[in-house]
Amino acid sequence: MSSRGGKQKKGNVTSEQEEEEQPLQAVLVADSFNRRFFPISKDQPRALLPLGNVAMIDYTLEFLTSTGVQETFVFCCWMSNKIKDHLLKSKWCRPTSPNVVHIITSDLYRSLGDVLRDVDAKNLVRNDFILVYGDVVSNIDVSQALQEHRHRRKVDKNISVMTMVFKESSPGHKSRCEEDDVIVAMDSKSKRFSMGTDEFEIRHDLLDCHISICSPQVAELFTDNFDYQTRNDFVRGILVNEEILGNQIHLYVTQDGYGARVSNLQMYDSVSSDMVRRWVYPLTPEANFTDQQGQGCTHSRHNVYRGAEVSLGHGSQMEENVLIGRDTSIGANCHISNSVIGNNCTIGDNVVLDRAHMWNNVHISSNVEIHQSVVCDGAVVKEAVRLNKQCVLAYNVVIGPNLSLPEGTVVSMHHPEEEEEDDDDEFLSDDQEVGHSKDKTRQKAFNPAEVGPEGKGYIWKASMNDTEDEELAQCLWGLVLNPDPESDSESEASEESQDRTFQLEVLGTLQRGLEENIVCDNLVLEINSLKYAYNITLKEVMQILTRVVLEYPFQQQGTQLTTLQYTGSLLPLLKTWSPVFKNYIKRAQDHLDCLSAVEELFLEQDTHQTAMVKVLMKMYQLEILEEEAILKWFSTGATNDKSRQLRKNQGLQKFIQWLKEAEDESSEEGE
Amino acid sequence: MPGADKEADLTERIEAFLADLKRGGCGTGPIRGSGETARETTALLRKVTAQARWSSAGDLMEIIRKEGRRMTAAQPSETTVGNMVLRVLKIIREEYARSRGSSEETDQQESLHKLLTSGGLSDENFRQHYVHLKANVIEAINELLTELEGTTDNIAMQALEHIHSNEVIMTVGRSRTVEAFLKDAARKRKFHVIVAECAPFCQGHEMATNLSKASIETTVIADAAIFAVMSRVNKVIIGTQTVLANGGLRAVNGTHTVALAARHHSTPLIVCAPMFKLSPQFPNEEDTFHKFVSPHEVLPFTEGEILSKVNVHCPVFDYVPPELITLFISNIGGNAPSYIYRLMSELYHPEDHDL
Repeated sequence: MSSRGGKQKKGNVTSEQEEEEQPLQAVLVADSFNRRFFPISKDQPRALLPLGNVAMIDYTLEFLTSTGVQETFVFCCWMSNKIKDHLLKSKWCRPTSPNVVHIITSDLYRSLGDVLRDVDAKNLVRNDFILVYGDVVSNIDVSQALQEHRHRRKVDKNISVMTMVFKESSPGHKSRCEEDDVIVAMDSKSKRFSMGTDEFEIRHDLLDCHISICSPQVAELFTDNFDYQTRNDFVRGILVNEEILGNQIHLYVTQDGYGARVSNLQMYDSVSSDMVRRWVYPLTPEANFTDQQGQGCTHSRHNVYRGAEVSLGHGSQMEENVLIGRDTSIGANCHISNSVIGNNCTIGDNVVLDRAHMWNNVHISSNVEIHQSVVCDGAVVKEAVRLNKQCVLAYNVVIGPNLSLPEGTVVSMHHPEEEEEDDDDEFLSDDQEVGHSKDKTRQKAFNPAEVGPEGKGYIWKASMNDTEDEELAQCLWGLVLNPDPESDSESEASEESQDRTFQLEVLGTLQRGLEENIVCDNLVLEINSLKYAYNITLKEVMQILTRVVLEYPFQQQGTQLTTLQYTGSLLPLLKTWSPVFKNYIKRAQDHLDCLSAVEELFLEQDTHQTAMVKVLMKMYQLEILEEEAILKWFSTGATNDKSRQLRKNQGLQKFIQWLKEAEDESSEEGE
Repeated sequence: MPGADKEADLTERIEAFLADLKRGGCGTGPIRGSGETARETTALLRKVTAQARWSSAGDLMEIIRKEGRRMTAAQPSETTVGNMVLRVLKIIREEYARSRGSSEETDQQESLHKLLTSGGLSDENFRQHYVHLKANVIEAINELLTELEGTTDNIAMQALEHIHSNEVIMTVGRSRTVEAFLKDAARKRKFHVIVAECAPFCQGHEMATNLSKASIETTVIADAAIFAVMSRVNKVIIGTQTVLANGGLRAVNGTHTVALAARHHSTPLIVCAPMFKLSPQFPNEEDTFHKFVSPHEVLPFTEGEILSKVNVHCPVFDYVPPELITLFISNIGGNAPSYIYRLMSELYHPEDHDL
């Protein structure tokens, strides 16, 4: 062995040793836990759908392997047998694979949360791990992110629990999923997801790659919080409780590389075209990274890829960005652009394909036109059929002849109603069962007007079963969001109403406290928990509390109270609840906030302005408010005519006068 | 069983190498130099020779061919891998012939005369078993490795013959060989190097930094300025990815521009290429000739809307026809492009050209 070769190996060995101390692990969730791809995913789990003639899960595994992952746990639920078969046959399960793949199946997973709870229960991860879905296509080198993550954890004593990978891409990019549109607030220096820190950036040019680097705590946190279902729940939970639990989430923004999740057909379309256009290099069709026999293809000009034994008829053109699988034959005078055609397809003469995605064993007769549609395995399109944009022909459907399918038509061999019948055990039922029920309902006749005289299949309507949650879920192609201005105001309104409900809750709490004589400490506790439940800031809490207390007599005895009655009933209340106030009013700013809340209330209730002095007096006596704060408020607080008017109130003037004198006296005494 | 263990270890090594090749070269060209790739390939083939089960030279050649096919398929643009496989095959043939006791002559290049007189193809089947064959082959491969170690130095040693004082040299992109060549000349002579940056990967920047660190006067120019600057240049010295069988080059994008500009100004174009870059491949429109990488460098992914409206391509290599090349400098000396075919027949056995 030559010296150079030896050195080389030694270098490898040392780096391996380092990694061997803590082999990088990954959790791959091969289930989407939603039904976006129905009815396609009724026959084939989403992770196995072909993208560029390669199952999506292979892209994800290749991505993980190339980033140096040595152990991957694949969690499957829906059609787990198929995924298992696929993986066992693939190169990932060969003994030489650098990435050891464990397949874990269970019918009980209903969400990402379940999977991670299981990870925790089985104690699978020992160190930081990468969390991805089985439909992520990426070539991002996350080792940098991983390093940053580990460094942060070393420095900050495990405060950072998760690093999410984002990719820069400006709005309007076709690979930006409209539904995943995120606006991220981050601390510019520490790259931390932030809420309410002093200095942060707000970014709208980020694409969520759905790749996250998690510390083992993430699994534990999912166990602790059994209501977390998705990663979004988790992120929200962490951010809301950041002050309490001290956990943080960081992000890693990359400029190069490619990463996207195929979350709907729109994304499928754009990821597929990105892949054909070589954005995901080196994961290109001709690279045959799955290492499967006969999958290889050649790449030539204008991104035209041809598999083995492809035959192309006379006068046919493959314009650009075309991928054709092996043993596919194409007739004469066809015009193909931006399309992916699977293995063993036959295509007739004079066919026009644009942005078509055809999977394996598809038969297309002559004079067919297909635009931006998905045609699944075994589908047959008869003569002179036209598929307009965003059509989907699911497995084994037959269409035509002489038919034009309107935009957005979805045709499946499964009857949509049968769908509803076994709705409940959808995730539990194994394939067998579905097969049975399919046979039972097969009796329902196909509608020749919809699928053509020789057609087989049922039309799925997009609005078929918008049971309760989103009709989004049914919308295969994803939605095109029209930026409507109303949505903003809506969200504001909802915030407003949140304040309102919080106010009512506080009122209820105080009332109960009074009736049942609850200790003030407990009241504080309850209000605190309400604060977290409604996500209210401390300042707002205090203002609302002040307001509630001051309005209390009105609430109890009607608004027709005289000032005297009002003060009479309010002052004892103030005395009882003064510990509550004292708990919230601590800093100088709190005093001012409280005072402005008092002022606001009395500006609204202008008939009772005289009572204000008494209230302030009482609060001063109870040491809720300090005299300095009151004086400061009095001198600076006036912002408009009304509040100036208020300050001219004789009683108040006197009170202030008195305060000032008192202060002078005390200071004199001090001297 | 230790034998099985060894074999598993071997396949693992090969798989790792293949995976490396597949992922290698994300855009900016191979992460390691082709010299290193050549050495690694050879070392791996030596391991195969030492550890695989074979009883005769024929078996061994079959094994090497099989692995070689997989390696070349993994990254077709990395021709050094294939070249090394061919070299090893040639070594096996030679060692076998020597063991049989036949003279070197008989196994030499078939001349027209010999083809005429021999009558039919050679009926050599490499089936005979020789005890020392394994050791001999490994020994020969070791020699090859030693040769590979020294290539860059051998090329650099010739620098003083080609670079004279106060010359202006142009180069394009980054080549480790050219870098060593220029640095070697800089020990004795003062000269000025102009580096074309070679967009979009701009390896030229790195080259320029390295050269200026060796206190060579260096200027970086944009690719568009190549023709304008060429009139001042005395000599163009470039590296290449592959030397093709016809004496042409497959080199980094922009090299053809440089070569044409040099021809227009009658500036000599010198190519520094170690022998292991010599490939029996001919230039053709075939698919493996080109390499397209992610268009990210040309138009960043962050661009947004425009990306959905345009097609972006990012090819890596240029073809430079042999007419434009004045001289090749390899580790065994200078050669004209027209002599390449001869070198080729010395390095590789004609029957091996297709793996």
